[in-house]
Amino acid sequence: MVLKVKELSVSYGEKTVVDKISFSLQKGEVLGILGENGAGKTSLVEAVLGIRPAVYKEVAILGQSPIHNRKQVFEKVGVQFQESHFPDKMTVSEACQQWSVLYKATAPYQFLLTKFGLQDKEKSLVKSLSGGEKQRLAVLLALLPNPELVFLDELTTGLDTKARKKLWQTLRNYKREGLSIVLTSHYMDEVEALCDRVMILKGGHIICEGTIAEVINYSGQASLEAAYLTLTDEEGEG
Amino acid sequence: MTFYTLTKIEAKLVWRGLDILIFGIIFPIIVALLFGYIMNNELFTQGNTMFLHSYPAVVTISILATGVMGLPLTIADYRHRHILKRFQVTPASPLTLLCAQALVQFIASMLSFLGVTAVYLFVFNYEMTGSFGLFLCSYLFVLMAMYSIGILIGSIVPDQKAANLWGSLAYFGMLLFSGATIPFEIFPQILQNVFAFLPLSQGIQLLKEVSLGGVLSDMIFPIVTMMACVFISGFLSIKYFRWK
Repeated sequence: MVLKVKELSVSYGEKTVVDKISFSLQKGEVLGILGENGAGKTSLVEAVLGIRPAVYKEVAILGQSPIHNRKQVFEKVGVQFQESHFPDKMTVSEACQQWSVLYKATAPYQFLLTKFGLQDKEKSLVKSLSGGEKQRLAVLLALLPNPELVFLDELTTGLDTKARKKLWQTLRNYKREGLSIVLTSHYMDEVEALCDRVMILKGGHIICEGTIAEVINYSGQASLEAAYLTLTDEEGEG
Repeated sequence: MTFYTLTKIEAKLVWRGLDILIFGIIFPIIVALLFGYIMNNELFTQGNTMFLHSYPAVVTISILATGVMGLPLTIADYRHRHILKRFQVTPASPLTLLCAQALVQFIASMLSFLGVTAVYLFVFNYEMTGSFGLFLCSYLFVLMAMYSIGILIGSIVPDQKAANLWGSLAYFGMLLFSGATIPFEIFPQILQNVFAFLPLSQGIQLLKEVSLGGVLSDMIFPIVTMMACVFISGFLSIKYFRWK
């Protein structure tokens, strides 16, 4: 098991934004976390990573605590946050070099730049990249340490169709090689393209989880999109 | 290796930013040339004393530019852009990145120190009465105190705008009123009494005493002030620092 979370809650003052959530992830599995803005997706991911205060019975990434063993854990875990920013004057190759020296072992970044179609941008300033290119760079950096598990927060928000399809293909190749992925998304097509399992959050609770077929079945709808809309609506009225 | 590469990249980023080069290195050297020229002029009756007093003041300009301006702005910027947050989920600590940044600022300050010292020594034949070794130690001590203030500003400000405001206030306040540029002695006594509360006024006082070979008893208050800056800022920074 690459990830195990047991009864994790996150609160801001009186407000509980993640309420006793448990889930786990097997090697090579892709889990999609769905939910509207404010459903608790990002809080959940950040709490699992140990950078947001939370209470829980257990959080184990690759069998270790991300708080007490953060050095060992993050050698093998990559993270792409919702928005990645870089210093103003930093070039693409500097961003890659900087990231490479943080880990004991990494993939050669020139190879990854080619894989992600950024080979011509090596000397460009990161801030001059397009939204899609910046996002690809962020995913590239998450994959740089040859991780066993990656967290991708809103992977393709702001990307055009072609760029999204390309990124999905790249990630499917990684998955085939055994990479486990946790991703949060607003897009049903993305989830259908990548995820083995989904988990729908609303108000800090899991309202439905399972394989895509299971979720569709459970909702009694014809597609994941319809299932998602029905499930999130019902809960709201109830 | 990690720290070396991080420092090298931070150095490139600072260098490309130009502000440290201009305000931290070129500006103090220009001030040194100007002061040397003006104060060595016989029209200036008290010229020689003022000239001797100006060296320990001018060398602190770069401390202000790097430690009270550059450092807090970068800390706030890296927090605001979630760069520190990205470092939190790597095997390295975001603190390593901030240390690399502080080292780069420190190196810039030392380059400026060397440049200003060279101007005073070789262009205007400056001679220090006190011990230069002791002076260098005092310089590093004052630098530590000022950097602590800069780190405190960077630690507690909510965003970059606030970092800019408080950094500028501390920078310009001390640049103009602590004697770093405008000689402290030419302020009216009443203002001198007020400006003495600026931490750098005490820092420059310490450097002056050391450079003139003064006695320890005159340095106690400045030394205590510098230590207070380090400890109070250090304590508050640790207490209130936020990674994101």
